[in-house]
This record gives sequence, C-alpha cells and structure tokens, in this order.
Amino acid sequence: MTERFIRYIEGTSVVHKLDPRAKFFFVFSIIASASIAYNIILVLPLLAVSAGLYLAAKLPWDKVKTTWKFVLFIILFLSLMNYLFVAVLFHQPRGQPDIELAFDPELFLMVFTPVVKLLTVAVATITLVYTTPYNLYAPALGQMGLNYKAAYVIQLGLRYMPEFIEEMRKTLEAQMARGYRPRGGRNIFARILSLAPLVVPVTVSAALSTYDIADAMELRGFGERSCHTWFRKLQLKKADKALILASSATLILYFTLFLTRLP
Amino acid sequence: MADETKTRKPLVSTTSLVAMGVGTALYAAFNVFFNIFQLPGTQLVTLRPSVCIPMFFGFVYGPLVGFVSGFLGNVISDAISWGGFWWNWDVGNGLLGLIPGLAVYFLSEERRFSGTGYVASAVLAVIASVIGMGFAAFTDYIFGYGISTLEEAIYVLFLPAAVTDAVNGAILSPLLISAYAAAVKGRARRA
Repeated sequence: MTERFIRYIEGTSVVHKLDPRAKFFFVFSIIASASIAYNIILVLPLLAVSAGLYLAAKLPWDKVKTTWKFVLFIILFLSLMNYLFVAVLFHQPRGQPDIELAFDPELFLMVFTPVVKLLTVAVATITLVYTTPYNLYAPALGQMGLNYKAAYVIQLGLRYMPEFIEEMRKTLEAQMARGYRPRGGRNIFARILSLAPLVVPVTVSAALSTYDIADAMELRGFGERSCHTWFRKLQLKKADKALILASSATLILYFTLFLTRLP
Repeated sequence: MADETKTRKPLVSTTSLVAMGVGTALYAAFNVFFNIFQLPGTQLVTLRPSVCIPMFFGFVYGPLVGFVSGFLGNVISDAISWGGFWWNWDVGNGLLGLIPGLAVYFLSEERRFSGTGYVASAVLAVIASVIGMGFAAFTDYIFGYGISTLEEAIYVLFLPAAVTDAVNGAILSPLLISAYAAAVKGRARRA
C-alpha cells in the first residue's frame, strides 16, 4: 500500500541498479560538499555531477514533472526574493538607490550562488528518492552499520503511514456524516480548533496502539538479540564501489579547499 | 547466580522504538493528508496543523521519540510530497518534537498529565517552534541554501514558519495531551 504514496519509479538504468548504500553516500557527499562550497565555481561541478546521475537514471518526464514544477517554483521564488533583498531592500546606500549597483555582476553572483546550491542538493535527493525502492531503505541503513532497531523505526514508519492516511480519511468522512465541517473563516484560532475532531481521535488511537504493537513485537522476541539478519542481503558491485570512491574523493577535496580557502 | 539471570535494561525500549515508528508514520500521514485531501473551505495546508504530532509524541514518550518522529516524518512526507528532502528542515522539525520532550526531565508523569502539564506543553510548543524553525531558517542562511541575506532568513523563512507552528502547536498539543490522558486512565500501562 505504501507504493501508492512513495515516489519510486521502477527502471533498469545504471542508477536504479546501484546499491542504495552507494546512493546514500553520494547524496551525503553532495550535501556536505555543497554546504561548504564558498563560491559558484565550486558549486557548479557538484550540480553537473548531480545532474549527470539524474540524467543517467532516465526518469520519464511525465512522472517527475510535478516535482520539477515545485523545484522550479521554489528556485524562481527564492531568486526573486534574493534579488529583492540584496539589490533593493537592505543593501542599497540609504536614501539614494544606485542603479549601477542593482546590475552589478557581484550582486548577481550573490543572488544566484545559493539558488544553484539548493538546486544541486534537490537534484541529488530527487535522484535518490525516485530510483530507490522504499523497502530497501531499512536494510541498506542496517547493513551500513546503523543499529537494526534504528533501521526498524524507518520500516515501521513506512509500514504504518498509509494506514494512518486511510484512518484519517475514514475519520473525516465519519465526522462529516455527523455534521462536522472544517471552518474556513478569518479567525485563525477557530480554524485550528475546528481541526480537533479530526486530529485528536486519530492521534490518540495511534498513540494507544503503540503499546499493543510493542507487546506483539516483544512476544515474537524483538530486541532479544543484539544482531539481526536482513532478508534482503545487499552486495556492493564495481559500479557501487566506484561511486563510493568518487564521493569520498569529492568530500576530501571540498574539505581541503574549505580549510585552505583556495579559489 | 542472581547476576546471571539479571537482564540489562535496553537504552531504548521496544515501546519507545514503536512510538518513534508510529510518530513518524503519523506525522508523515498528516502532512501528506493535508496536501492530498484539501479540506473544503480552508487554507489549512499553509498552517501545518500536523506540527502538533512530534510535539505530542515528544511530550508523552520523551525527547528522542519526539526528535525521531519529527525528523523522519518530515523526510518521508517531503519525499512523498515533492520527491526530495532538505536535511536542515528535517532537523528543525525534529527539534519541534525534542524540546517538548524535555518536560519528562522536570515534570513528573502525574504533573505532565494535569493542568500544569498542559500549560507547559503549550509553552514548550512555542519555544520548540522558535528554536526548530530558527535552526532551519538560519542554517539555510549559514550554508547558503537558496537565500543570500540574514534579513531574508528572518522575514521569508523564520517568522512565517515559527509563528504558524507556534500557534498550531500551542493550541493543538494541550488538546491532544489532555485527550490522551483521559484515554489512558482506564488502561494499566502508560508511557
């Protein structure tokens, strides 16, 4: 049932075949490197690498266009905001707006570098989410050395999320049959309070079910042993090792550049 | 001999682990629900009433459960809603659950589920919103994710997010906690 919600697209591309652990490490290296990249020249290669991996995934446009619409909206909105804040509102000399300053190339760099960084991180995470089956997240993290109990939390989250969405839908229908209508007035407090008949029953019943689920798991021996074997055994192939190596090299290079502050 | 039969108490109990999973699922479900099923006649999507979930789970089960519920729930709902995620906003959402969870260190279980606890949960919800959204907005500025100026971090990201989360959390968290307290009264076990 989780498949209905998760944005995974089945495929046979090189990226689909990569081990999820290699993809996790790649995304981590891109996020960390982009975070410490201090100018556009350092950000652009990261964007190129992320975009390269995204294109190699060969994701069909009709299935990803909603995501891209959202990302492009954010990019456009933040670019406009950046320009407004940098060139117009806060960084102009007081009392005398400077037209030359408003078209200064330095200013454009200041406006667009953060947006390119954001795009780089977005492309890397989108590639991971769209090419990794949801049922591999927990085994991959577990086999990366994360405690199996922690990995199990992810599994539980993905397992119960669709059920709670369904429960909320049923609760909303049941409450509406009793005459409940969420208010849309101007009073923000009334609007929030009007959600209580929907939020409270679902949350309290979910919180109470915690004890029953925990009991059921303990009765089956959960937590008795310190190790755990995963049904899905992942094996690193040559391409995975190459990606991990390249990600490690990128991380080391960007950290070195950050520490030495070379252009 | 007695020592051999003694079992060491695990750092995180099975109940806490399940609470993390359930909190994660519920937070992701609420976020997705308010995005997919637009409620008639409201502009609720922008209000994020779902922030009360990590706050509630943190207050009832402790800071770690609250943090994981907020963090993972936001990762999953972001992945579902638009196909990616932003780590610093996920950590910010985790803090929304962690801070109300600190109540377990200064309020006994009896007081947490009484009038004092409800007031404390509302106050902690406001503090959590300020710190959590502050972390997310200011790390966006520090690491240069999308924004260029501190003023932008304050006016475009921090204030709208923190104010709406604080209002939602301060109203809905005490309601949830009081409803939960009433529901568990007849049960043998509590958090």
